[in-house]
Amino acid sequence: MTQQQTKVFTIGETIAVLYQRRHVVLWTILAALILVLGIVTLVAGKLGIGMGDIIALFGGESSPTATFVLENLRGPRLLVAILAGAAFGLSGALFQTVTRNPLGSPDVLGLAAGAGAGVAVVSLFPTGLPTPIGALAGAGVAIGLVAIATGSGFTSPSRVILAGIAVAAMATAITQFVVTATLRDEASRLAAYLVGSLNARDLGHAGLICLALLIALPLLIVLNPRLQLMELGDELATSLGGKATTTRTWAIVASLMLAAMAVAVAGPIAFIALMSPHAARMLTRSTGPNLVTSALVGAVLLVLADLSVQQLPVLDGLPVGIITAGFGGIFLGYLLLREFRKGHA
Amino acid sequence: MTYNLLAARGLTVGYGATPVIHDLDFDVPQGRFTAIVGPNGCGKSTLVKSLARVLATEPGMVTLDGKHVQAYRPRRLAQRVALLPQHPTVPEGVTVRGLVARGRYPYHGALRQWSPQDTPAIDQALNDTGLTELADMPVAALSGGQRQRAWLAMVLAQQTDYVLLDEPTSFLDIAHQVDVLRLCRNISNQGRTVVAVLHDLNQAARYADDLVVMRDGAIVAHGRSDTTLTSSLVSDVFGLDSMIGVDPCSGTPMVVPVAD
Repeated sequence: MTQQQTKVFTIGETIAVLYQRRHVVLWTILAALILVLGIVTLVAGKLGIGMGDIIALFGGESSPTATFVLENLRGPRLLVAILAGAAFGLSGALFQTVTRNPLGSPDVLGLAAGAGAGVAVVSLFPTGLPTPIGALAGAGVAIGLVAIATGSGFTSPSRVILAGIAVAAMATAITQFVVTATLRDEASRLAAYLVGSLNARDLGHAGLICLALLIALPLLIVLNPRLQLMELGDELATSLGGKATTTRTWAIVASLMLAAMAVAVAGPIAFIALMSPHAARMLTRSTGPNLVTSALVGAVLLVLADLSVQQLPVLDGLPVGIITAGFGGIFLGYLLLREFRKGHA
Repeated sequence: MTYNLLAARGLTVGYGATPVIHDLDFDVPQGRFTAIVGPNGCGKSTLVKSLARVLATEPGMVTLDGKHVQAYRPRRLAQRVALLPQHPTVPEGVTVRGLVARGRYPYHGALRQWSPQDTPAIDQALNDTGLTELADMPVAALSGGQRQRAWLAMVLAQQTDYVLLDEPTSFLDIAHQVDVLRLCRNISNQGRTVVAVLHDLNQAARYADDLVVMRDGAIVAHGRSDTTLTSSLVSDVFGLDSMIGVDPCSGTPMVVPVAD
């Protein structure tokens, strides 16, 4: 029934976009949810900015405390949560669509573990390179190793996953070695990074992930209809002019780039990439990569998780990655159970 | 004038080291319904996939209008040649109309996911396959025969001159096999060229205009379906001793295995 409500939005001869009213309503709700959660993040708790100050911010006049909290403490953290969440969501949606593996996401692929190893290795240098650089380098090396190990780049999904598991194991070994070998306070700082934390983010982090999303945007616009075609199988997609192999390669490249940047600024926050596309599909109840919905869901999940570690007394000060890992683990169990039931129905 | 032609020249295709097809020449007969028959593994599917550029063909080449198919932009080629593979995947939750709509992809652009001709083309394809009533049903809820019709409708919506079908009747019961073959006949009668890989020689002889008989990656016979089948050919190609009878309804040749 869903296809029946498909509408066309056209601008002149060159632009025509298909959409469903249901999706637009859903996107509006999710965006509103991000806005509400964002305001709560800024307002709540001890250092919260007053509602009056929030309104005043748009007028230009606000108290110095409020400005400081907004510009240095909660503002950047919130931005990073929204943008990194969206990047994780997109990354997972792209990856799951082209690998046809509902339980796959770039974190599984050795990327997160590689980033962790990168940060660990960087922490060994006394001069102290910035963490995001270590993470990016580590993720890059891990991806490179995966691409070499498959012998065919990213064209064969099953090889990518197998090579990814091997690379992840190696990276984890390196990380463990560094953690055991380094000093205690360094190790505990490292441990916080390794589960993913949004503590002490600045506008530089937000800028980095924003840049990644802007770079990915044109690619995603071109890839989106082709990804929909990929669902028909490679042969049919190719015969329809969809260039299945090229599409898969570019989708994986975009997915890895987004995940690597998100991991670089937010740490290897678990399960957002895996969960968002599933949640998106449940909400839209429609086929296709569901890119926009996945991005919005990813942002909602990460903002919500970060808000809870900031404000819930029980979770006080925990890295946000622990929360997402906890809920993600439960969700993964549910998915496995569902796949299992499907297989035996 | 005769330039409007899909043809293979010196085609050599294979998965890995040993080629499935070796140095094959084939002109697809224009405006006709051609059935490709032959034993399992003789390269029938490989041939149709190569013609639709789904498999890379080096050395040798497939040309359309005298131009190498690799030189066509993928969507441009997909406006001329359609292929229905053996095992396409049904996207989860897609409706019949949604599936048929995917056949319109070749007519879209990077930023244009819709063209004004889409709706009439989709409606026509649904009508031609008798699926208008079922258009809003999920494909997953259809029977095997209806589902195959939906796939054929998708290929029809592609509005190509050439329709290539890889074993369109496999896994269907006899009534639905005949249903699909009649549909192929109708598509061909509309002036399109149909090439279908078929298993049943009698069905091929009855419904197709022409037969292409393959063995070990080569074409061993190609001609009108009412004159091509002989008992020596069947014995050569399939290793089956048979007699050629006459189909009581259509008068076309009918292969009957000899008494045991």
